[in-house]
Amino acid sequence: MLNSLKTVFGLMTLIAGMVISIPLFAHGVDDATKTFLAGNEGVSIIPFLYIGAKHMVTGYDHLLFLVGVIFFLYRSKDVLIYVSFFTLGHSLTLLFGVLNDTHVNAYLIDAIIGLSIVYKGFDNLGGFKRVFGFQPNTKAAVLIFGLFHGFGLATKLQEFKLSSDGLVENILAFNVGVEIGQFVALLFILLAINYWRRFDSFLRFSTMTNTLLMSGGLMLVGYQMTGYFVG
Amino acid sequence: MNTTEMPVQSAQTLIKSTLAAGVLAAIMLATVILPAEYNIDPTGIGSALGLTELNSQEQEIAVPEVVQRGEQSFAYRTDTTTIEVPAGRGIEYKFQLDKYGHLEYEWVTESGELYFDFHGEPTGDTTGYFESFAIATANKMSGSLTTPFDGSHGWYWKNNGQESVKITLKTKGFYEVIGLKQ
Repeated sequence: MLNSLKTVFGLMTLIAGMVISIPLFAHGVDDATKTFLAGNEGVSIIPFLYIGAKHMVTGYDHLLFLVGVIFFLYRSKDVLIYVSFFTLGHSLTLLFGVLNDTHVNAYLIDAIIGLSIVYKGFDNLGGFKRVFGFQPNTKAAVLIFGLFHGFGLATKLQEFKLSSDGLVENILAFNVGVEIGQFVALLFILLAINYWRRFDSFLRFSTMTNTLLMSGGLMLVGYQMTGYFVG
Repeated sequence: MNTTEMPVQSAQTLIKSTLAAGVLAAIMLATVILPAEYNIDPTGIGSALGLTELNSQEQEIAVPEVVQRGEQSFAYRTDTTTIEVPAGRGIEYKFQLDKYGHLEYEWVTESGELYFDFHGEPTGDTTGYFESFAIATANKMSGSLTTPFDGSHGWYWKNNGQESVKITLKTKGFYEVIGLKQ
């Protein structure tokens, strides 16, 4: 018992270290990209595609959420369905947010994204069944959190006063880029998880992995809420 | 198919997991994340690890620095003097200032232009080195000087005309008047 706890904490620290070693990327966009976005006029499909894709591949909060979502999905059809719901959710709010010029506080949105990770980790532990006696609709949950993730993307895009010239095309390109990035990231996550599933350790460590997921989500919540009050 | 086939953990495991997640998150936030991201360091571990540097530096850059004045041994004063430069002659009028001392000046001739060299010579220098701040021919000049080194600072005026020229010089700042040299 004591030994397994030790292992658990050791691994937790390791993964937590990996998670927080990249927070400088957080959801930020680097300076060169910033300059490009601020100065851009007109339609630039490929650059916006690239920025969207890069945003997803380096946006670890989206990735953590995806890990949670596909953790117990065994069939590729299910993976496809769930990811489609997530995509539908964040595409809607990304387009709506930017076109409608809706401003949502970035810290609060990112804190909710953190909560979505906590939610999914808890869900994966069977927490809702155990505590409340029922399982909330997992597809609906993915869709709703997708909506929040999209608002997060929209808020990030709005930080640069994008030129209205070619705005719709550029946002669409950005959104398609987001999907490409998500797909690429998903491939790696799926490969890793599917490989891991072949071993007994998958189920043995699933509790620990989802505990870590919750913990990572809580860190994001704490980080963003502190920023909300301090920044 | 609304649910996925996820194992439902025992209540004990659930409580343990949730607590562990919360405790780990709290520890990481307090010792690493908040110190690194916001320079908030409740435990002191963040600064021990050098993480608070990440954000304190940014703040230092963001705040405009006040000009370093260092120790100034001279008091603030204002002066107005009249200097006469004889025809065909050059004279020097100087002030003693500390490093980073401040001098505001304004001079004007009664009539005619003078060649001048506004410069400073470091205290204790024996090589004859001096640094020129401005060289021109004019009938007036105004501005301010923050000295790059401790030493005598002022003007060399050369009167190339046939008549002597009177200059009215007004100054204020932290200095001591040396006055006419030569």
